[in-house]
Amino acid sequence: MGLRTATSTSTGLAFAALQYLAAAGLVTYVAGDSAWISIGVAGLLALVAWGFFGELNGMFPTAAAIRRYMSGAMDDRVALSVTFTYLTTIVLVVAADAFIVGAALTRALGVPSGLTALWTAVLLALAVMSNLRGVKVAGWVQDIATALVLAATIVVSVVALARSGHPLVTPLNPLGGHGTNLVESIALGVFLYSAFEWVTTNAEEVRRPEHVHRAMLLAVIILFGACALMTTALGHVLSRGQLLSATPQLYLGSKAFGGAGIWLMAAVTAVTAVNTFNGGFVTASRFMYATAREGSLPPLFSRLNDRAVPWVPVLALGIASFVLAVVVQVVGGAGWQVLVAVGATLEAMIYAVAAFCVLRLRARMPDHHRPFRVRVVMPLAGVGIAVFGTLALVSSVTVANRLNPAPLVVIAVVGAASGWYVVSVVPKLRAAEEARRAARTRRRPSRPAGGTAGPS
Amino acid sequence: MATSEEIVEAYGEWQVRCNANPRLAKMLRGWDRRVHLVTSDSGLTFTIAVSGSVLADIVPGSEGVPDVVVTASSEDFADMFWGDLNPSEKYVSGDIVLAGSSEDVMRLDAMSMVAFLDR
Repeated sequence: MGLRTATSTSTGLAFAALQYLAAAGLVTYVAGDSAWISIGVAGLLALVAWGFFGELNGMFPTAAAIRRYMSGAMDDRVALSVTFTYLTTIVLVVAADAFIVGAALTRALGVPSGLTALWTAVLLALAVMSNLRGVKVAGWVQDIATALVLAATIVVSVVALARSGHPLVTPLNPLGGHGTNLVESIALGVFLYSAFEWVTTNAEEVRRPEHVHRAMLLAVIILFGACALMTTALGHVLSRGQLLSATPQLYLGSKAFGGAGIWLMAAVTAVTAVNTFNGGFVTASRFMYATAREGSLPPLFSRLNDRAVPWVPVLALGIASFVLAVVVQVVGGAGWQVLVAVGATLEAMIYAVAAFCVLRLRARMPDHHRPFRVRVVMPLAGVGIAVFGTLALVSSVTVANRLNPAPLVVIAVVGAASGWYVVSVVPKLRAAEEARRAARTRRRPSRPAGGTAGPS
Repeated sequence: MATSEEIVEAYGEWQVRCNANPRLAKMLRGWDRRVHLVTSDSGLTFTIAVSGSVLADIVPGSEGVPDVVVTASSEDFADMFWGDLNPSEKYVSGDIVLAGSSEDVMRLDAMSMVAFLDR
């Protein structure tokens, strides 16, 4: 994997269909045309997170990095609980993307909204089947998909702005207007960059180790440009009702190119799923497989099919994503808004955890090789923990610019379930695994007495 | 520290087991790879190859351009080839380091798991 594919992977993973909804939601939090400022501030915060992930990825350039740096920095049970909770972000994004693509197809085709669940099921079934068959999107396909999505979004945004016929009203006044919530808009802005760090799981595939680090930086810059332009256009040409709908990107397409624009953006929304489903399913299922192999998930999760794919995790992810997507549809508008808030909270939380890990590992592993080091780490990590912690807290109790503890409740339930599982179930699983190992006879012949071999 | 002979002997066992497993033959279909093994403690290198679902004999030294490079201690290599070690666990703990794709990691681990645990 070269720098280009690493960059498109990082950008593509972040630029999911949920991006459009989060960007439109962000616009309602600040004074219309000024939303790009929140995205800029969030981009600066993402750069701080980039520094943390860069240092951690440099220390542990492996797909298992998250397990390594977390268990190195904190108690293994806490690390595992946090990791399981973070894993829900992947299910959440896959579910949200399936629902949003389904909603976009429903609207573009002009069919009853009840069919959204059908599209969602079909999309997830396709994703599950292709994963089970070991189909992996080639790097060049990923490059093209990401470039198409970004180019179409930028062109549609520019044309919609140009055709609006009136100038920007408040491009430099994020605090003006009724109901302004700058902190929450920045938290949502951070969510627009979320998952750019997932490319670190490809650390073993890159041609040169520094590619992952550079790719993440380029992705943050590209995401800032595309998202700033998109939010400005969304805020400028759409009504509040359109912004809070499940398909704001289709309204934007319509403003730019009429009926053709709706189809264009529906197609673009579908293309975003290529990266999300590919990256999400592969990352999460392989993680679950490795966790089962080390004895922290039931052995069932390490079963492989004839294509060496861990089929139980893939199936479980598909089913969990479908159930979540249906719940979102049944609950209606508030459903995906809660989903966005949960995603924003978890992402801010994991950035705070990354800051903590950097700080802790500097003390615990001072001599570990660090190809990239965060400068002035003490104040920066301290600020990172405080800022991302605050953003996580704010976004966990805010939905669509109103006080609503639903995201906090969802995260608390998932976190508690993860914690209970790690404390109560994992020790039993590990004990059973140890017993199985002890029952196996060692196959390797013992060396003759006194015959310890040295290097040959 | 395991000697070169011990690693070669252990690999021989692994090779026989893997090549005799029909399920593994299906799993390795289309996965033709040249793998370099590097021992982190004794500096030994070996080359193994998978072609047409069949593991070839181990060759001392680094031959050709590798698709995957596996680095581990000589003891871990010997234990892994004898089926006494869970490579996945060692990979997560960082004792086994891989340069390759996530698919390569899965296939290599699958070889150990299917050949010895038959899961």
